[in-house]
Amino acid sequence: MKYMLLIYDNPDTRERFFGPGGESLRAEIDALMTEITEAGELVGGEALADPATTRTVRPHDGVPVITDGPLAEAKEHFAGYLIVDCETIERASAIAARWPNARTAAMEVRAIMNPSGTEM
Amino acid sequence: MNRDRRVEDLVRELAPRVLATLVRRYGRFDACEDAVQEALLAAATQWPADGMPGNPHGWLLTVATRRLIEGLRSDQARRRREDAVAALAAPDAFLAPGPGDQDLPQADDTLRLLFLCCHPALSPASQVALTLRAVGGLTTAEIAHAFLVPEATMAQRISRAKGAIKASGTRFELPPQEGRAARLSVVLHVLYLVFNEGYSATSGPHLLRPELSTEAIRLARVLQHALPNDGEVAGLLALMLLTDARRSARNGSDGNLVPLAEQDRARWNRAQIAEGVSLLTNALHRDRLGAYQLQAAIAAVHDEAASTETTDWREILALYELLERLGPSPVVTLNRVVAVAMVRGPQAGLALIATLAADGGLRESHRLEAVRAHLLEMTGDATAALAAYERAATLTTSLPERRYLQKRAARLSDDRG
Repeated sequence: MKYMLLIYDNPDTRERFFGPGGESLRAEIDALMTEITEAGELVGGEALADPATTRTVRPHDGVPVITDGPLAEAKEHFAGYLIVDCETIERASAIAARWPNARTAAMEVRAIMNPSGTEM
Repeated sequence: MNRDRRVEDLVRELAPRVLATLVRRYGRFDACEDAVQEALLAAATQWPADGMPGNPHGWLLTVATRRLIEGLRSDQARRRREDAVAALAAPDAFLAPGPGDQDLPQADDTLRLLFLCCHPALSPASQVALTLRAVGGLTTAEIAHAFLVPEATMAQRISRAKGAIKASGTRFELPPQEGRAARLSVVLHVLYLVFNEGYSATSGPHLLRPELSTEAIRLARVLQHALPNDGEVAGLLALMLLTDARRSARNGSDGNLVPLAEQDRARWNRAQIAEGVSLLTNALHRDRLGAYQLQAAIAAVHDEAASTETTDWREILALYELLERLGPSPVVTLNRVVAVAMVRGPQAGLALIATLAADGGLRESHRLEAVRAHLLEMTGDATAALAAYERAATLTTSLPERRYLQKRAARLSDDRG
């Protein structure tokens, strides 16, 4: 089963991660990434740039309109994702729990839709 | 195109033989497996272009041996380890010699490879990947494509699996008689997983996936050839044949799932059904009953019925009751619920669901909701059925299942106007 692990950040955690003393957090992530890569569980992932650069496209009178800034002002913002292929959602959640953001902001574990299925 | 297909079939049939020979001569399963994979890739490009060699097996063995020795030499040079020479000098130390070892039948080699690839130290996903590569002769790219993951992910899985086998110190031999049955059940489970992965109806351009069922059937045949007296091996092969026989009827032209009750049974593969039934009948007479034989027996009852109405549901219910005692699982329990409903009516099925849910015997799942929805629809309670179909649709992570469930829900809401 494939799961997307959605990584959430807030201004504090982002500062901590990129600021002084962030090495140990980054080392934690490196170690976890190495582990899930070697286990053949990591399918992919990306980190997103700071929300300051966000543009939002949403309908205005049925026509898409582009504006600067994120969709909604929120305490937490979407900061990146990982896709893992694991035996169970418990394993995917265990990986999410070890990502530093699970201690500082939030992680979300979402099942990815499968293109195949069986008749019921 | 036809020729390429022939080349591919031959290459994949020869792959486990070449690998077994190499491992017996040189030891080091991990390095040998890499070498064989390279030889297979070379054959796949050279044979269609230059023509088939007179002795394909010899060709593959020569190329694989050359690659292996080159690989070991560069390893030695890089690591400057003297003990690597020993691996080349004393190959037979890896394999405990036994009577008639020089002339082992090919089926035995495949069996050893299957036991090795399905080593209990590996995760199921790794067992599946390694079995497809080392025994099935598929390339890493093909396996990755079939499982919808990047090639790098699959390569990691295979390399970790080989590392785990190396670390376990397992030799290239059959497991000791005590515990062999448990090891065989892992092998059967791996082939079952491969089959199911391929049998899942697929929408979209993932055309290779059905070949996984074909591959699982091919490997189960090889295993059955090696262990002709094992009832569960025959049971698994029969189950695959009897299930796969419905393939062309279960996928609508629009890629939608067609449930058993609505399938055009004229499109079921009669030859495959006959073969499955005959395998199963022989197994049931010869060996003690097992879960695969029971599942095959259930598939056979469905396959031999002209319609859902004329299906012998009493027989199916009895078989599910036996199966639940032998190997209980949520899926088996749910199938028993369906059989109860078909024999005693939908209310009896719904009552059983309520009892099982209260006991904690059934966890909430899209399958449970789908069964509940079908039974509610049978009772004529369209409102409750609609709600259950919609709940099932939100719980499934499968696109074709979601489409199917939403179609059922839409049909009910249209009926209500």
